[in-house]
Amino acid sequence: MTLGDELERGRRCADRWRSRRGLEQRLHDGPALRLSALSLRVGLLRSGQRDSAWEQGLDEVADEIGAALQELREVAAAIYPPLLDEAGLGPALRELVSASGACARIDAVATRCGTAAEGAAYFATAACLAQAGGGDMTVRVRVDGGDLVLTLEGVDPALRDVVLDEAGPLGGSVTVADSTNQTTTITGRFPCV
Amino acid sequence: MRVAVAEDGALFRQGLVMLLEAAGHEVVACEAGGDPLVAQLSRIPADVALLDIRMPPEPDGGLVTAEKLRAAHPDMGLLFLSHYAESHYLMRILEIGTEGIGYRLKEKVGSVEVLSDTLTRIAAGEIVIEPELAKRLVERPRSDKRDLVATLSERERDVLKLMAEGRSNNGIASTLYVSGKAVEKHVANIFDKLGLQADTSANHRRVLAVLQYLRSQRGDG
Repeated sequence: MTLGDELERGRRCADRWRSRRGLEQRLHDGPALRLSALSLRVGLLRSGQRDSAWEQGLDEVADEIGAALQELREVAAAIYPPLLDEAGLGPALRELVSASGACARIDAVATRCGTAAEGAAYFATAACLAQAGGGDMTVRVRVDGGDLVLTLEGVDPALRDVVLDEAGPLGGSVTVADSTNQTTTITGRFPCV
Repeated sequence: MRVAVAEDGALFRQGLVMLLEAAGHEVVACEAGGDPLVAQLSRIPADVALLDIRMPPEPDGGLVTAEKLRAAHPDMGLLFLSHYAESHYLMRILEIGTEGIGYRLKEKVGSVEVLSDTLTRIAAGEIVIEPELAKRLVERPRSDKRDLVATLSERERDVLKLMAEGRSNNGIASTLYVSGKAVEKHVANIFDKLGLQADTSANHRRVLAVLQYLRSQRGDG
C-alpha cells in the first residue's frame, strides 16, 4: 500500500466517524427536539380551554408525532434497514430503488448471507446509487464459495473505493473490469461470516 | 363492528383497544401474537382482524396469520398495521388477497374517524393502502405519466378491471367467455402498455397494473 493509499484510507475512515456523529446529530435535531417541544405543547393544552383552538392544537400534536416517527424511520434505515434483516438483500435493495426513484435493475438470489455481509453489500450499493447520478445501473447479488458476490454494472470505476470501504473490513475484495472506461463493472466479494 | 387484534407491543395494543372501543367497535379478541389469535377466531366470529406485521410467529407473523385467517374465514377483513410502509410487504399482502384488505401505518389510524373509515371500507370489501405507498408504487421515475390506462383497448380494460377485483386468469376467462390463452395475451399487452418491465415477477406486475388501474379510477396522481 502506498502512502497515498494510506492517506486515502485514513480519510475515508474519518468520514465514517463523521457520518456516525451525523446520525446522533439527526436524532438530536429531529425527533428528540420535536418530542421535547411536544411535551410542552401537551402541558399547555392540558391547562387550556377546550375550544376550537384546543382542537386545532391536538391536530398539530398528532402531526408532530407523525413527523417525529418519520425522522426515526429515516435514521433507523441509515443504521440498518429493517427490511434487510427481515427479507434480505434483494427486497431491501428493490425498496431502496423504488423509494429513491433511482434508475437501477436488481437481480438478487434469495439466499441469506448473514447480517454483516448483507449490511456491507447494502450500504456499498446504496452509496454507489447515491453517487451514480442518472446512469442506468444493474446490481447483481450471487453467493459463491462462502462469499456474497455483488456485481455493479454500468458504474464509474472510481466507485471501487466506495465498495472496498464496505468489503475491506470484512476481509473481502473488489475487482474492476476496466478502469479506463467511463463506466465499468465492479465486483465486490463479501465473506459470509 | 366486531374486531380482533394481534399486536406484540403491549402499549400499542392497549392504545388500539381503547381507540377501537371509543370508536364504538367491539373488540372480540386481543392477543400478543398470530397463533393465539387464529385459535380464538376459530371459535369467535369477527368482521375485521387488525394485525401487526412484525410479531410472533417471527419474523413476519402478521403475514402467515393473515394467510391462515383468509383460508379459514374468507369474508373476514384484514388490516395490517406497521411502523413501516414498504412495497415489499404490500406485494405480499396483495398476494394474500385483493379484497377486504388494508395496509396502513400505525400512526395514521390514530383517530376515531380514520380508524373507523379504514375498517368500514375493508369490511365493505375494499383495498385500503397507505396513500403515500400507493403513490410511490405507481409513480415511475422519469417517464411520461400521462394516463397509461387510457392507452388500453376496451377489452384490455375489462381484463384489468377483473384483475383489480382479484380474479385469476381462469376466472377472467370464464367471466368474459374467452379462452385462457386469450386472457394471457391481454394480460401481457397490459403489462407492456403500462410499461411494467419483464424483470419483475408476474405477481408483482399484476399488482402494479392493478394499482395503476385503481389510481386511474380515483382520478388522482
